[in-house]
This record gives sequence, C-alpha cells and structure tokens, in this order.
Amino acid sequence: MAAPSLPGSGLLKGLRVTLKTMLSPATTAQYPHVKPELPPRTRGVIALMEENCTVCMLCAKECPDWCIYIDSSKETVPVEGGRTRTRNVLDRFAIDFALCMYCGICVEVCPFDALFWSPEFEYAEVDIRELTHEKDRLRAWMDTVPPPPPLEEGAVPPAEIEAGIAAARKEAEEAAAKAKSVAEGGAAAEAQGPQIDEELFARLVAEGTPERAARAKAKAAFVKAQKQRAAEGGAPTAPAQGEAKAGEAEAQGPQIDEELFARLVAEGTPERAARAKAKAAFVKAQKRREREEEGGQ
Amino acid sequence: MATSVFALEPLWLALLLQALAAVLLFLIGALVVGYLEHKVLAHMQDRLGPMEAIWHGIGQLPADGLKFLQKEDIIPTAADRWVFALAPAVAVVPGVVIIAVLPFGPGLWLTDLDAGIFFALAASGVTVLGTLMAGWSSANKFSLMGGLRGAAQLISYELPLVLAAAAIVIQAGTLSLPGIVEAQHGFTLFGVPMIYGVPHIIGLGLFFVAALAELSRPPFDMPIADSELIAGHMTEYTGMRYAFFMLSEYAGMVILSALATVLFLGGWYPWPGVGLPEGAAGMVLGFVITFAKILVLSAIMVWLRATFPRMREDQLQRLSWSVLIPLGLLNVVLVATAKVWF
Amino acid sequence: MSVPEIVMLATGVVGGAAALLVVTSRNVVHSALYLVVTLLAVAGVFLVLGAEFVAWAQVLVYVGAVVVLLLFGLMLTRAPIGPTGQANELGRALPLAVALAVFVGLVALIATSFGGETIELEHVTPAALGEVLYVAWALPFMTLGFLLTLALIGAVVIARREEGEGPLPEPDPDEPEAAEASPPDSSSWPQRQPEPAPDEREVSA
Repeated sequence: MAAPSLPGSGLLKGLRVTLKTMLSPATTAQYPHVKPELPPRTRGVIALMEENCTVCMLCAKECPDWCIYIDSSKETVPVEGGRTRTRNVLDRFAIDFALCMYCGICVEVCPFDALFWSPEFEYAEVDIRELTHEKDRLRAWMDTVPPPPPLEEGAVPPAEIEAGIAAARKEAEEAAAKAKSVAEGGAAAEAQGPQIDEELFARLVAEGTPERAARAKAKAAFVKAQKQRAAEGGAPTAPAQGEAKAGEAEAQGPQIDEELFARLVAEGTPERAARAKAKAAFVKAQKRREREEEGGQ
Repeated sequence: MATSVFALEPLWLALLLQALAAVLLFLIGALVVGYLEHKVLAHMQDRLGPMEAIWHGIGQLPADGLKFLQKEDIIPTAADRWVFALAPAVAVVPGVVIIAVLPFGPGLWLTDLDAGIFFALAASGVTVLGTLMAGWSSANKFSLMGGLRGAAQLISYELPLVLAAAAIVIQAGTLSLPGIVEAQHGFTLFGVPMIYGVPHIIGLGLFFVAALAELSRPPFDMPIADSELIAGHMTEYTGMRYAFFMLSEYAGMVILSALATVLFLGGWYPWPGVGLPEGAAGMVLGFVITFAKILVLSAIMVWLRATFPRMREDQLQRLSWSVLIPLGLLNVVLVATAKVWF
Repeated sequence: MSVPEIVMLATGVVGGAAALLVVTSRNVVHSALYLVVTLLAVAGVFLVLGAEFVAWAQVLVYVGAVVVLLLFGLMLTRAPIGPTGQANELGRALPLAVALAVFVGLVALIATSFGGETIELEHVTPAALGEVLYVAWALPFMTLGFLLTLALIGAVVIARREEGEGPLPEPDPDEPEAAEASPPDSSSWPQRQPEPAPDEREVSA
C-alpha cells in the first residue's frame, strides 16, 4: 500500500472506469451490417480442390465424426504402346457440416492439398440435410479460400517447395530445350511452365477475381486441358489443340451461370453467395450436359 | 407567480386535459429515461445497446411494449388472483398521480398543491404497496422475499428522503413545488445567486441516495436482485403486467429526478437569477431545461448502476439507520439554525 | 346537495364498506389491503374538508408506513395464500358489540358537542396548520413528542434482551451473549438493532 487512500476514493475510481468506458468507442461488431474481419486461417467451411483429390480416403478415415463421404470408381486409361493404367475417379465427395466439428484434421491430413479452410461461415440452412455439401458446393467454396500468408521477410522457404521449384525449373528448361530442338517454340514451354492457364488467369484477375481463386481456376483449366491431352494420347504434340482447349476454357469463362448470378445480385444477394450459387448451378448444368452427352453416345 | 396553463374553463375540459397530459408525460418520461438507461448502460459496458429499431434503437422500447402486449398473461394457479392482477396497477398509479404536481416549466404543471412536495413524497411511498402485493400474491418464496425486502427498504429510506426535503422546505419557506423553484430563483449565497444544491450538498446527497433506495435501483436493488431473487416480486409476472412494473421503475426515475431538480437544481431556471423570456418561448425553454436536468440526474443513476455492485441487506439497513437518518436530522437542525441566523 | 357533500358521502361509503371488509375478510392480507382503502378514504374525507396537509400526512404515515409495516409483519410471520381460520375465538358477538358501542358513542359525542353548528369549509394551508401546531399548541405538541420519544426508548429497552432482566424467551445457545458489549457485527446485527421501535411508535400513534 502506498499513501493511505481517502475513504470513498475506491468508489470514485469505479465511477471513472465506467465513464471512461462509456466515452471510448464500443467494441460491438454490427455483424449483419458490417462483415467481420476474420483472420485468414479462420475455420469457416472446408473447401475441396477437386482436381487435387486422388481418392486416397485419408480424410474420411481420419475424420473423428465420420462426416466425409467419398465414392469413387476406377477408370482405365489406355496408354499408347503400354499396359492400360487404372485411375481413381472421384464420384462423390461430401462433407456433412451438421456433423463436422471443425477440427481440421482432414485439412491437415490431406497429402495432396485438396482440402482447404475457408473463412466463409454464412451457410446456415433451414433443412439439416442441406448442410451436407456435395462436391460442387465444396469446389465452389474454393473461390473463397484466401491466399496463404506470405513468408516472413528473409525466411527460408520450406525444403519441399524449394525442391519443387528446382524440379519445375529443370523440367521447364528441358522442355524449352526440347521445344527448341523441335523448333515448335515457346508455346508448349509457356503452357507447361507455371502449370496454369496463364491467359485465363490474367483475364480472371483483370475481371477482379481474387488472385488465388483465379489461379485455382486457371490451374483447373490447365489440368483439364492437360488431361484431355493425355487422354488423346501421349505428349502435347499439337499446341494448337492446347490452345483450342484453352479457348474452350475461356468459353466456359468464369465457370458460373452468369444469368443466375446477375439475377441474384440484382435481387440483393451478397455477391459472394450469388457467385457460389451461380457456380453451383453452372456445374449442375454442365453435369447434366455431360450426362446427356454420355447418354447420346 | 405564474399560474398553471391548465387553469382553463370549463372545469371538465381542464380535468380531461390534465389527465391526458399526466398519462402522456408519464409514458414519454418513462420511455425517454428507459432509452437513456439502455444506451448509457450499454456504452458503459463497452456495448452499443439497441441499434436496430428505427435509428440507433430509438424505437426499441415501444417495440418492446408491442411485444409485451402479445405475451400470454400468466397467473400462477396458487396465486391470489385479484391481488396479483391489481399489484401492477398499484405500482403505476402513484407515478401518474405525482406527475400532476411536478413543475416542468413556468406554468407547466397540472396543479399547484400547497403541500406539493409532501404529496409527492407521500404518493411515492404508496408505490411499495404494489411491490408488497405482487410479492405476496405470487405464491412464490422468491417473490415474497423480494416484497419483504422492498417494504423494509422503503420504510428505512422514506425517512432520509423526507428529512432531506424538509431542509429545503425550511429554506424555501413553502411546500409548493413551483413555490420552491421561485424561492430558489431569488436565493443568493453571500450575494451570489446560487442553487440550493450547493449549500445543501448534504441534503442533495441524502436525497439522491434515498431516492435510489426508494426506487430499488442498484446498488440498492435487493428487492429485485436478479441473481438471487430472480427479479423478486416480478418473478411470476409476464406480458403487460410485467411491463407496468418496468414502466413504474422508469417513471420513478423521472419523478425523483424531477423532484431533485426542483428542490436542489433550480427547477426550470437555468440558474437562479437568470430569468426566462415571457410567454410560450419561456415555457418551451423552461421545459427543455427541466428535462435536461432530469436526464442528467437519471444518467447519474444509470452510471451508479453500471459501476457499483449490489449491497447486502444488512448493509443497506445500517446505512440508512446509522448514517443517513442521523445525517438528515443534523441537516435539518443546521438548516433551521442557519435560516434563523441569517 | 353540493359537490363536496356528494364527494364526502362517496368517500364515507367507500371507507365504511372497506372497513367492514377489513373485519369480515377471512384472509389477513386481504384485510390489510382493505385497510389501505379505508385509510385512503379517510384521506379523501380530509381533502374534502380542506385539510390538504393532513390528508397527505394520512397517506404518508398510514398507507406508506403503517400498513406497509403491518403487511411486512404479516408476511414475515405467516402469509398463507387463501383463507385463514377464524382469527378470534371469542366469536363475532363480542367484537360486534364493542364496535357498535364505540360507533354510537362517537356519533353521540360529536353530535352533542357541536350541536346544530355548521362550520364553513375553508382551505387550511400548511402555514395555518403550522401556526396552530407550533405557536398556539406548542406545549401539547412538544409533550406529545416527548411521550413518543419515551415510547421509543421503552420499546428499545424491551427489545434489548439483557441477561437477567424481564421475562426472557429461551436463550439461543448459538448466540453469544457476550456480544452485548462488542459492536454489533453484521450477522447478529438485525436482531440487536432497536429497529422495531419506530414501527411501534407509528402504530401507537
């Protein structure tokens, strides 16, 4: 105890605290009007990068709630001049968010970077069954995954990334050399280089899509194109074909149902939600088309 | 001295207008002070309080009222039906009646009683009857405890309240509330125009503390004591009847703040010796000044609520009987001596 | 009949009816609440007679304090909801006789002492009342005050349970009797404080 305090000074001290609190701005967040500023690693919803999934089932096995449902089938891929190979095709990937306890073990355990945390949290439903997000919806959440925080200034990049970059560079050099030798030129090297569809990426970024999402889409387009190429047999021999694929990807544009999107936005739905819905609609429509095509064949 | 604006002919019109004005003032005062409490309390707790209703939650209390109207009116099976149903009315009526004698501006009072201050204090003492009735008739031990505490508290704190007012009455030489305001207007302390609150600082403190206790406002809210008695006498009440109790609490804040304004803070005059313009402009200005003083006092009540924890029942009784009442008696003696001396 | 006469009659009827209910009600708390109505009616009568200050005093002291204390005591000791048994074993005859006798006596007394004299209604200001109380009747007033103070002190003396004095109830073994000398601590404080005194004073007044 310092100097003996005046009787009743404690009361005044208390009054001062409340008065000070009143005069300082309140900490209340006006949530529905003002969106919260969530930290980038917020566990809002789990997004699925479908293209990265190899159906290894690790996430489903590790899930403490058993709320991840995966169906897959084998697909035979004919290899020119060799034995046909089998490949796992993801038929269904669903997470029941009514059961999920947001432990994040699935995200941690995924060895192929197919699962991500997204800070998006406004997906309450009236019907509990709607909380089971299917593949399309999980893929749509991918758009909302923020980029990983940058490394600290002067930090050593992780070894596997270093190795990956080195390998990619080497590959690119080899490809460039090869391309040079074939004299077909930079087109192939460029396409293979950053492993994404640069053209689509640039366009999406210009359109205002978040860079990460744009990259993901561009990558998806690229992978699709590559797969197409692989299916058509062997190495990318005809860059023209690749370009055609890129063109197709471009035609698919931002991969959403633009009409629905415009309507929802006009109705006052938040843009992000509208985009997700539009995308889901688009994917659904695409699925239907594919199925019809299959049926036609 | 100005006469009331309600001194009209014929008499029935005057009475009708007076009744209307009393109810209106009661409701508006209670709503404004209720809103003040919501907001000030929220900000003192680092919150924003109601924000959605209309603008910054300004329509929150009327909206709450509408909600209360829709609520089921539950009367417990074991309750004493009539007493239970009457208690909220008994709690509200004294408030409306006291409004009638409060001066809100020059000529802005419903009636000027000779014994206005005495009437106001007497009627405010009746409020506790509602508390007791509610506490007993609910057939609930928490309610009964709340009612008992309320009664004990009122009996203890009525005395300091009356003693503090008595000192002012001695000073002013009148029991009429407008009379006290006018007397205060001409009061000078060593030649300087001064409100009674300065020389009567003891009385002001006594009055304010006793008013808090009489209203069962924190830190003297043992009869309500949400955390131990589950709102005491209001435990079993729902809907409009509950709303009546809340209304009477907020109106009580307005009334006792208004009384303190008249007794200690110079009433409708900005400062003793500073006059108001004649006519309607003076009335409006006087009303604004009175209401501003009332709101400041009510805000202080909320401030105390936000700051201090609830006292214990025995501490409350000890404070009244061994501190406030002797102090009040001393105050009366001092004031009377000074009055005779000067 | 003039307006004051009608109002006087109305308050009288209300007060009388409530007074009847006070004694006939089977529920003590209801009786106390009817008493409130009676006392308010009496205040109304005072008002009609122009004694404004006395009316408010009636409300302040009797409704605000005495009945509240009465209810407080009832609720503290026994407060069953619903009718209670017959309060008085003597039946109804004796109380009725006493009440009638008092009523007749009072009416006769008032009627004979004023005779046919009529008193003009006039507004009694608090100032006039103060003049009467503190100037004309100052000595009786002070004597009354003295008497009430005596009653208060007497009540304190009775309430203090000092050892070896008066008919004591069974001493509480848990209660340390030595606490008499020490300042009252918070646990034993409510019992030892001479609180009931002012209550009794007001009741007796």
